[in-house]
Amino acid sequence: MFKRKLAALDHHAPDSFNINDEREIRNLVLWLENQKIRRYKIEDRAPLQATGPEWNANFEKYCKDLASPIADGSMAEKLEWLIGYAVSLEYSDDADKYKGQTAENVSKIVVNVPKVESSNPLDNMDFESPDFKKGILALAQILDVTPHPDHLVTLKAVSKVVRERLSQEALDKPNNIIVKGKPFPFQEADLGFDMGDYVLNQAAKILRLLYIHDLRDLQTGINETIVAVQSITADPKTDTKLGQVGR
Amino acid sequence: MVVRDYNDELKYLERIDANSWRIKKGFQPNMNVEGVFYVNSALEKLMFDELRNACRPGMVGGFLPGMKQIANVAALPGIVHRSIGLPDVHSGYGFAIGNMAAFDMSDPNSIVSPGGVGFDINCGVRLLRTNLFEKDVQPVKEQLAQSMFDHIPVGVGSKGIIPMTAHNLEEALEMGMDWSLREGYIWAEDKEHCEEYGRMLNADPSKVSLRAKKRGLPQLGTLGAGNHYAEIQVVDEIYDKWAASKMGIEEKGQVCVMIHSGSRGFGHQVATDALVQMEKAMKRDKIETNDRQLACARINSQEGQDYLKAMAAAANFAWVNRSSMTFLSRQAFAKQFHMTPDDLDMHVIYDVSHNIAKIEEHVVDGKQKTLLVHRKGSTRAFPPHHPLIPVDYQLTGQPVLIGGTMGTCSYVLTGTEQGMQETFGSTCHGAGRALSRAKSRRNLEYTDVLKKLEQQGISIRVASLKLVMEEAPESYKNVTDVVDTCHAAGISKKCIKLRPIAVIKG
Amino acid sequence: MTADAKQTAEGVRNGGRRGGFRMAQYEFTDEETQLPPVKYEYLDHTADVQLHAWGDNIKEAFEQCAMAMFAYMTDIESVDLQEAHQIEAQGDDFESLLFHFLDEFLFLFSCEPFLIARKVSIIDFDLENFRIIAKGYGEKFDLDKHPQGTEVKAITYSNMQVHDKEGQHEVFVIIDI
Repeated sequence: MFKRKLAALDHHAPDSFNINDEREIRNLVLWLENQKIRRYKIEDRAPLQATGPEWNANFEKYCKDLASPIADGSMAEKLEWLIGYAVSLEYSDDADKYKGQTAENVSKIVVNVPKVESSNPLDNMDFESPDFKKGILALAQILDVTPHPDHLVTLKAVSKVVRERLSQEALDKPNNIIVKGKPFPFQEADLGFDMGDYVLNQAAKILRLLYIHDLRDLQTGINETIVAVQSITADPKTDTKLGQVGR
Repeated sequence: MVVRDYNDELKYLERIDANSWRIKKGFQPNMNVEGVFYVNSALEKLMFDELRNACRPGMVGGFLPGMKQIANVAALPGIVHRSIGLPDVHSGYGFAIGNMAAFDMSDPNSIVSPGGVGFDINCGVRLLRTNLFEKDVQPVKEQLAQSMFDHIPVGVGSKGIIPMTAHNLEEALEMGMDWSLREGYIWAEDKEHCEEYGRMLNADPSKVSLRAKKRGLPQLGTLGAGNHYAEIQVVDEIYDKWAASKMGIEEKGQVCVMIHSGSRGFGHQVATDALVQMEKAMKRDKIETNDRQLACARINSQEGQDYLKAMAAAANFAWVNRSSMTFLSRQAFAKQFHMTPDDLDMHVIYDVSHNIAKIEEHVVDGKQKTLLVHRKGSTRAFPPHHPLIPVDYQLTGQPVLIGGTMGTCSYVLTGTEQGMQETFGSTCHGAGRALSRAKSRRNLEYTDVLKKLEQQGISIRVASLKLVMEEAPESYKNVTDVVDTCHAAGISKKCIKLRPIAVIKG
Repeated sequence: MTADAKQTAEGVRNGGRRGGFRMAQYEFTDEETQLPPVKYEYLDHTADVQLHAWGDNIKEAFEQCAMAMFAYMTDIESVDLQEAHQIEAQGDDFESLLFHFLDEFLFLFSCEPFLIARKVSIIDFDLENFRIIAKGYGEKFDLDKHPQGTEVKAITYSNMQVHDKEGQHEVFVIIDI
């Protein structure tokens, strides 16, 4: 019980706290007052250290002094509030530190992950090593991929070529998979505007091409969707009785 | 119309460059902006002859000459930039056919005009490709032409063969090509390669008269008559191999199917109804125009809004119509070649409207503005990277489909940045008439016309022999002149030339 | 559809063909079966066609104009008088009356009953209220029987002229095709 909150408060044994053990309850309350809440001056904390039945009355007073809203609740409810109060004090002591601790961020912090030796050799590779860079360059040359100054970008291009052009399917039926582009004197094509700079114009042309490529994919998708719908709706008919054709 | 001597009229016309002329303010009264028209020397002569004829004393023609009409449009309230005549311009109802005019949406006086759209709302052209070549088709050309003729209802009084109820029609008016998709008549990629993705979202069938719906219902899925056609064409020339390749056209001789049709009686009735309504609105709002035919209403008026919603429904009708004929053409090819349309790679290259008004963003005097752009006999031609064109054409610019006339070539152009600035992304739409229909009938013998087509190796299936004369290539401006002018002026760029081998007509 | 037209249609469904079984009230009178002389022509126009019709009075010019429109859609000689349908048109001046008169007949052709009329008679020509009641005589357009001519998209006000004075009763209308 209260495991998460106690853990948040750095309690020494959040896992094993037993609410049915009166001794443990008294120890917890005292710990909370000593370490977290500090409602009383140290010298005034003695009533909470009581070991006799008078502790209960002292605890009631303590709760009242803290303005706990739980007047007639069970011990569990009272403790629940008390621990929660301690957590809120802890938070406000260092709000800035905890503000960023959203569930999302916390989940990223992996504590106590046992170190496992990865069996994937790629995980142990140094992607920045000269050897690696040299390897990519060699691979790019074999596959006829123009290298990019950032070797990782080159790697992406290489991977795309391998996936699309060297898959089993593409090797079996190259005509179905590999788009056979027709040459087009793209350099002479009218760009429609002039940036006033040769290099910029070339760049604009390449952007145009990339855009057209995307647009073609979109249009192909649209056509495929239409064909899929047609398979349900289509029912073309002619009735030559309606009108005369031919003579 | 101001009556002036021909030579006095010429004072208001000024050559800008080899391919364009300026119509200065004062040519017609109250011009808010200048007019511009694009021509080459051959087309220029036609334009000036038309003006000269109109200046002869005692002329009581039905329509004003194209130049006068361009200038009258320049006098409409709220117009910005210029009133533009494309190279195939010829006189039409109020607006010239081949006229682009844009009106500032933020100006409360700006107008919308049904005459600026035309009676055949969302008349347009669709091009399908195949993976067949001329050598595959030549031996079975006659059978294929007949098969197309047997599949597509054509001509006056023909009725659609796709079963439609009044309820289906309501849905189709609201959903446009999404209806055709839902019912399974077309492919998802067809929608991708269609102007507006085949659906105008502001369509409101409740703004359409019962009369229009009654006229439209039996005609959905029919080609129509007049200059409408379905053609089997082969690639005759590739000017821009990269752009052509993006459209799936790799080599000369590749076979394509072109469908030129519109919103049929439905659109005609929507336009008629709106003209009647707007006559009243003009009186009420005291809108002054130079020509009674330029009936219009303020964009924000009830009549203006109602028209835009009904026009959108008619546009949706036209897309469903062209989609139905796409379905029927695919069936005809599939039966002839015993292959699925999929295996024949019968994809829609693109679908353009050349009679429509649309809300678009353009730069006027350095500022981005929201405009209502009327294109009557004019095709949208947006440049590369425009957000409203399909992803496949982002690098090439929008494909612009220019239908020729019976027996002549058709073209695919692409939109350019220069066109975006000069003409708000608009270019020509076809050949444009040069001879009147009556004159065609008097001067041409249908047997001669048919013989000539046969000599050119063109199979023809036509519902009305009278039309053969009226629609003979001789009756039209030369489409090559028209396209070359657009290319030379830089408002669009030549990409592919197509030559017909079989024509199916009303 | 007016009551009269409905009955006529009914009569046809019951086999009420000329020369066949028919009930007395659907029988055409001799006067009704008389074909009028042609008093119209087609004038030159770049993209469209201009109808020019005339007559001994303005009523006849109107009738002739509607017949001119129908004759543009098919070979009118192929059309038999089998059924009659009635229309009503309302305008607020001569021009709009003519416009709506033609538009009503175009509508009759464009959807049920798909009437191609060989003969048009104005029964009531009310020039005070600009109202017309007229009957079209002809038959259902049938691709097996009637050659296809040119499709009329719409009637236009473009350069529309109605002349009604002593010695001159003629109209000019441009139809969009």
